Amino acid sequence: MQLLHVLRERLGRRQAESFEHLRERLARFRDLVEKNNQVLELIADAGEKLGGEYVYDRHYLETLARDLDLAARVVVDDLNIVTDNRYSELVERMNEIEAALTAVLEGRTFAPDAAPILKLADIGFEHVDVVGEKMARLGEIARRSCCRVPPAFAITVTAFRQLMARHGRSDVDLNALGDDELAELAHKVRAWSLPWGLSRAMRREASRLTSRGGCSWLAVRSSAVGEDGSASFAGQFKTLLGISSRDVPRAYCEIVASLFEPAVAGYWRGRAGVRGPGPMAVGCMCLVKARSSGVLYTVDPSRPEKPLMVVSATWGLGTTVVEGLGAVDRFVVSRTPPHEVVSRTIEEKTERCTVVDGSGHRRFTVSPEDQRRAAIDDAALAELAAVGLRIERFMRGAQDIEWVIDEDGQLFVVQTRPLKLEPVVRHESRRDLRTTVAEQTVLLRGRGEIACRGIAAGEVRIIRERADIENLPSEAVLVARTSSPRLAEAMGEAAAVITDVGTSTGHLAAVARELRLPSIVDVGNATEILTNGQIITVDAEENVVYRGRIEELLHYQLLQSSTFEESLEFRMLRKMLRRIAPLHLRDPRSPDFVAQKCSTYHDVIRFSHEKAVEQLVSGQWVRAGGESGPISRLRLPIPLDLVVVDLGGGLEWRGGGPPEVEEVCGPLRPMLDALVEDGVWATGPADMDLDGLMSSATRASPVSTVGAQPEQNLAIISSNYLHLALRLGYHFNIVDCFLSEVRNDNYLYFRFVGGVTEMARRTRRALLLKKILEHYDFVVEGTGDLVIGRNKKAAPESMHEKLRMVGRLIGFSRQLDVMLREDGLVDQCVERFLAGCTNPWGQEDRADGPDGRIYGQ
Amino acid sequence: MGSDSKVMVVDDEMIVVERLQEHLEKAGFTVEGFTESQAAMDRLAESSFQVVVTDLKMKGPDGLEILHFAKQAHPATQVIIITGYASMDASREAEYSGVFDFITKPFNLPAIASMVKKAAKKASRLESRSGS
Repeated sequence: MQLLHVLRERLGRRQAESFEHLRERLARFRDLVEKNNQVLELIADAGEKLGGEYVYDRHYLETLARDLDLAARVVVDDLNIVTDNRYSELVERMNEIEAALTAVLEGRTFAPDAAPILKLADIGFEHVDVVGEKMARLGEIARRSCCRVPPAFAITVTAFRQLMARHGRSDVDLNALGDDELAELAHKVRAWSLPWGLSRAMRREASRLTSRGGCSWLAVRSSAVGEDGSASFAGQFKTLLGISSRDVPRAYCEIVASLFEPAVAGYWRGRAGVRGPGPMAVGCMCLVKARSSGVLYTVDPSRPEKPLMVVSATWGLGTTVVEGLGAVDRFVVSRTPPHEVVSRTIEEKTERCTVVDGSGHRRFTVSPEDQRRAAIDDAALAELAAVGLRIERFMRGAQDIEWVIDEDGQLFVVQTRPLKLEPVVRHESRRDLRTTVAEQTVLLRGRGEIACRGIAAGEVRIIRERADIENLPSEAVLVARTSSPRLAEAMGEAAAVITDVGTSTGHLAAVARELRLPSIVDVGNATEILTNGQIITVDAEENVVYRGRIEELLHYQLLQSSTFEESLEFRMLRKMLRRIAPLHLRDPRSPDFVAQKCSTYHDVIRFSHEKAVEQLVSGQWVRAGGESGPISRLRLPIPLDLVVVDLGGGLEWRGGGPPEVEEVCGPLRPMLDALVEDGVWATGPADMDLDGLMSSATRASPVSTVGAQPEQNLAIISSNYLHLALRLGYHFNIVDCFLSEVRNDNYLYFRFVGGVTEMARRTRRALLLKKILEHYDFVVEGTGDLVIGRNKKAAPESMHEKLRMVGRLIGFSRQLDVMLREDGLVDQCVERFLAGCTNPWGQEDRADGPDGRIYGQ
Repeated sequence: MGSDSKVMVVDDEMIVVERLQEHLEKAGFTVEGFTESQAAMDRLAESSFQVVVTDLKMKGPDGLEILHFAKQAHPATQVIIITGYASMDASREAEYSGVFDFITKPFNLPAIASMVKKAAKKASRLESRSGS
């Protein structure tokens, strides 16, 4: 009422001019939403390319970066036009993201801001650019509890930058320096002093390691941020053993200096496509008192087709094994539990390395009885083999692992990296595989889409409800009807995933790729064909599911997986995606929801959309725009004041008074149809108890972005578009929808926040909405009383159904928070909704209501 | 099945050759991969292939030259051309006469494998008809 009044009042004044102004802004808003979706599509698409199903080259990566930048810049432009340049700062954020992507494409390293020191417990794969490959992998296996890893921390590339800056070498270009200059620089670096804060932090963290880790000495090793996975720089940089916590800063400089050694330069200069190492990160680790140590290859490189592992071992520290000096024992161990020893060669080991003081390691003579004795016993070999298999699984490929056994017989892993295998051998094993596979029982073939390539085996677990994700066996194959977020929760420990419904661009597929979990979606009836407890092998390379565990296939996969994932393009895309896909700005009410915090394209578009919607709903546009033909108030059979702005084709107005429901076209129509149905717009009991009443009476300004002006409801519509902003009482609901015959263009976005009662009840309502939306295949996120659900690419008829559901849900949930006195009521209400009930308390209760409580309007 | 069919893959991007070769070999083809188009031409001169999958734009002889050369050397050979993003210039369509099909990058592996299978089938049909 008030809104229309304002509009009409202004009608007489600057009508024409203002209306043009409004139109342009609305057009900009539409454009923003469209480009926003385009960016989301590009992100989903790029994620899909990581799944292994696609062949792409550098050109694709360049095009991706360009298209994303173009579309995201339009979003930012549109937002600034709509809000009178309120967010011009976003342009700078965009420039930063673009610079980061360009750096990746040009083969330079771009490391995000990080603390100069990170504890191992806080490190995972995602930190590879700040802590280097070595430490990132170690952090990941420690995090996943694959094995024991000695206490450690990383000195990140941030520390490296601080050091270089202090000595005026921030812009040093290794490629431009000759051998003499490099040698001179290396010499200088050894004597450099560290920024005081940095060296103090190193010492503090190091002494924490020695006191808590119970070790006397530390190992300090390089963890270079290699540009390029095809060159490992293995053994090119220094490792220092037996360092005291006080000496860590000096050891750090020593290791940084090794980056500039001409010998190292010779290594990367000699290789095509290798652009030299990036900035240096360093790992600092408790030095385990080693009884024996050595190296494990989880596949025998000389005959990778066989299910065998190779272990080399010696007494004391493993330097002799790693450097290839001195005598070592060699064992060939079966990959199959219980990991029998297939062959052993025991050498005469006359010397062992041990750290005796801070001056490094020394060689000692081995006692005569130990010289001819195996440096590792069969039980420890079996334990080592099992650890190797676990690490392999998380790393998705054969590994080269450095291990140590301490004086108490405890096994530690101190390093793991992909094992390089000759590509020729891989090709040969393919032929044998085909005959083996032809003899197997096929359960499913060629159904659905591969979301993430790979091969895995495990026990089937059909996931129907939340309880099913509890007590899963390790390495289960999860089988579910839809790709629900519930399923995503359980995927961390799974071997593979199969769903009946879903797309390879969906949320679940993205999670699967992040975890590198073999996944097939949209299979149709996997939940009917597969049964709980059955052992199957999922070949998400060829899209086949076999009965039983096919070792040959799994082994083949192991040898093969490294090829593609280690390709330069794959790694580049992975790096690029880190500045593209993650969403950090999740909660619009958080103080961090500001332009300054946008660090990915996803952040930028999300922020822009949120702020544009905020502007739109503030009503300023409409007030500024004035009244005209396309703006009108709907005549509805329910007490809902809804102002409609028709951008074209949204109304078939037959004239004669305000338009009615029958004259509405496009996506608003099915929603309204459901909303005005008998009983949906609940005018029944608001089951308000005293607490609820008090709370609603004292809540002065419930939703900050809205202001306390209820009943200003706006719908921007066209023949295929709907942007609905509802302020019902004290909550705030947005529906954004595009509906066309082209399934891929369709989306439905549902956002809900606020309420009249205290937070606990509002949170219950949010939970209820989340459960219902998930049931209808929405991807739902949000915290507290905020719910954001998104559904994309549904077929037109399914969109209609969802819009009707949303209409029903708006009515159903309107006063629900008041009623949700306890947690148990949430599921009860969800069930009522899913059973088709129009209101949460049921027809039979309407006469007098439950418990004779006070009723609202 | 495409068993025993010989396939040549030519692309100056190593990643494309590697992945195609891997996938097609797994599908049962005998595959030779080249990242230099001149070397591929030399090989075409000495041996015949049922199917040639080639990138269009390359340093040295381009995909078009490979197409003509392969067809001339061995008319039954079927050529699949990998193109970039842009759609084919219609005015140049005539130049591509004799091409089996086009596929645009980025492409997915099952799609190209099934295309190669069809091409191999056509090649062997032509070969048996001409009695070679």
